[in-house]
Amino acid sequence: MKLRTALAVTVATAALSGAATAETYKIGITQNNVGVDSYQTTYEKAFIAAAEANANVETVVLDAGGDVARQIAQMEDLIQQEVDAIIIWPTNGEAVIPAVRKAQQAGIPVIVTNSNIAEQGFDFVASFSGPDNITQGARSAEIMCEKFTEMGIQDEAQIVQISGQPGYTTAIERAKGFEDRLPEVCPNVTLMETQPGDWNREKSQKVMEAFLVKYDDIDGVYAGDDNMGVGALNAAKAAGREGIIFVGATNFAVGYEAMERGEYWGSIYQSPVDDAEAALQTAIDVLDGKDVPFLNYFDTPKITQDNMGDFTKPVF
Amino acid sequence: MSGSTKQRIGGFLARQGILVAFALFMIGFTLANQRFLDPDNVMGVIRSSAILGVMALGVTFVVISGNLDLSVGSMMSFSTIVVLDLHDKIGPTLAIPAMFAMTLCLGAFIGFLVGYLKLNSLIVTLGMLSAIHGLTLTYSGGQNMDIADKANTWFGVFGQGNIVGIPVPILLFALLAAILGMMLSKTPFGRKVYAVGGNGTAATFSGIRRARVVFSCYLISAFCVATAGLIQASRSLGSQNTVGQGLELEVLAAVILGGASLLGGSGTIFKTVIGVLILGFIQNGLLLVGLQFYVQYVVTWIIIILAVWLDIAAKRGKLWSPIA
Repeated sequence: MKLRTALAVTVATAALSGAATAETYKIGITQNNVGVDSYQTTYEKAFIAAAEANANVETVVLDAGGDVARQIAQMEDLIQQEVDAIIIWPTNGEAVIPAVRKAQQAGIPVIVTNSNIAEQGFDFVASFSGPDNITQGARSAEIMCEKFTEMGIQDEAQIVQISGQPGYTTAIERAKGFEDRLPEVCPNVTLMETQPGDWNREKSQKVMEAFLVKYDDIDGVYAGDDNMGVGALNAAKAAGREGIIFVGATNFAVGYEAMERGEYWGSIYQSPVDDAEAALQTAIDVLDGKDVPFLNYFDTPKITQDNMGDFTKPVF
Repeated sequence: MSGSTKQRIGGFLARQGILVAFALFMIGFTLANQRFLDPDNVMGVIRSSAILGVMALGVTFVVISGNLDLSVGSMMSFSTIVVLDLHDKIGPTLAIPAMFAMTLCLGAFIGFLVGYLKLNSLIVTLGMLSAIHGLTLTYSGGQNMDIADKANTWFGVFGQGNIVGIPVPILLFALLAAILGMMLSKTPFGRKVYAVGGNGTAATFSGIRRARVVFSCYLISAFCVATAGLIQASRSLGSQNTVGQGLELEVLAAVILGGASLLGGSGTIFKTVIGVLILGFIQNGLLLVGLQFYVQYVVTWIIIILAVWLDIAAKRGKLWSPIA
């Protein structure tokens, strides 16, 4: 088991500054699978950094390595250690519910981070901190529509969608957000077809190649994340099809670079650093007794070629 | 029609049932969507099948020798990530041989375990499937790998280049298929591979060094995987850690679809190529027809079963037989 503890010495600093009123919280986190992708790797680093920067917080940082059984065992460990709050990045939205319930019954508030658990477990959760995928989808639709309007083709544009892996909540919610919002902002834009790219750049490239053969006129592509968006862009470049507007979600470094080159129009900026800091802050707010909304979304703003200067290049 | 012509046609069908099945699918998809046989589309499908195809060539050797290789997907992720990482560190000229050397080491390790230590290939390569994935993740620290300066490198030539109008991945695939096809059908080594897979004990008694043959098959497989990784890396100049995940089963499906027996001793490179093309064109055809994607998984499977059935029926000479 990977066990890393980040301890912050509080007594000395608190005494020196004379602000000895604040309590020290011991917060445990069990993450999904650190190291499997850059987002989760960056998340963990940011979480540890945020905890170290806060003198009133002591953390126990665990990683389930993508294994449900291990995550449940880690939940039990954290309950045994009598931490003040537990943050969980579920390996599986259903299977972890009994462990979450056990923590809640032991009087330990549980905060779910990044991806929510299944609805039947909501009663045992203090708050969910993470991105709002439906809003992300809706914002992508707005980015696409604003660009079409600027180009003057908002009444005839035809687009295709490359969605995430079928069955994943994030994929379903982003597609829903996009599909619901698009007719509201650009009622005359036609979504011709949707096919999954499975979050995979190569798969997405194949799907886009087929789209390019099938449709002579494609004005825009919405991809469920930038990895797939860049795959689609590669296909269009190889086929020599220019002028297609690419909009993604979860801005990756590759997407950011393609935007710098002027080949990719926009995306949604979702920072793992914001994600991690929001989770820790939500846990602290719950422990402070503040009124925290059940679905505590952190903001994931629109990023396009026009405003990308305001954002640093993603590290993943 | 004279009797001998009929026999010859019958004989051809029996030998090349899978080719007939392939032709039928092509006709079917063309009728469903006129664009299917568009040269751009055909070229595109073969180009994207080339990666799977190159891997399937190597696995054909392993399967004919009576073993399995389930580690090729993870190994492909590994070589892709390694070559991309080294590209920026030591330059492409050194990165490519270094990546080939590292991938061949993995192949040699598997070949040693299966060939010389006689461990079950299913267990060894299933284990290596996750072990190599872990190695890739450790190597990359979980980060996506991307070439920093994509505009100024010649490295893209293997995946994106064209020679006389034909994409380089297709040329590499064809070249490897020709070389390995010759090796399998025309050389003593090729005959040894069939002998070891057909009856390992008999082969040993005939003086064939079985362990060495098996070991060589895994080396060939690793070489093919390294080539596939090179094409993959060069094609997108960047990659996720999981790029090859799940490919091992598609590769195996293509090899088996081509008619290689999982028990070893039979199969050819040509038929594997047909198997690869069938899989590639099915995926593309279903996309062009615009079938809802949940249905595609099911339909892919139905088509594969149909192909295998046609192949077997052609061998039997009838569609249905009460005895095998």
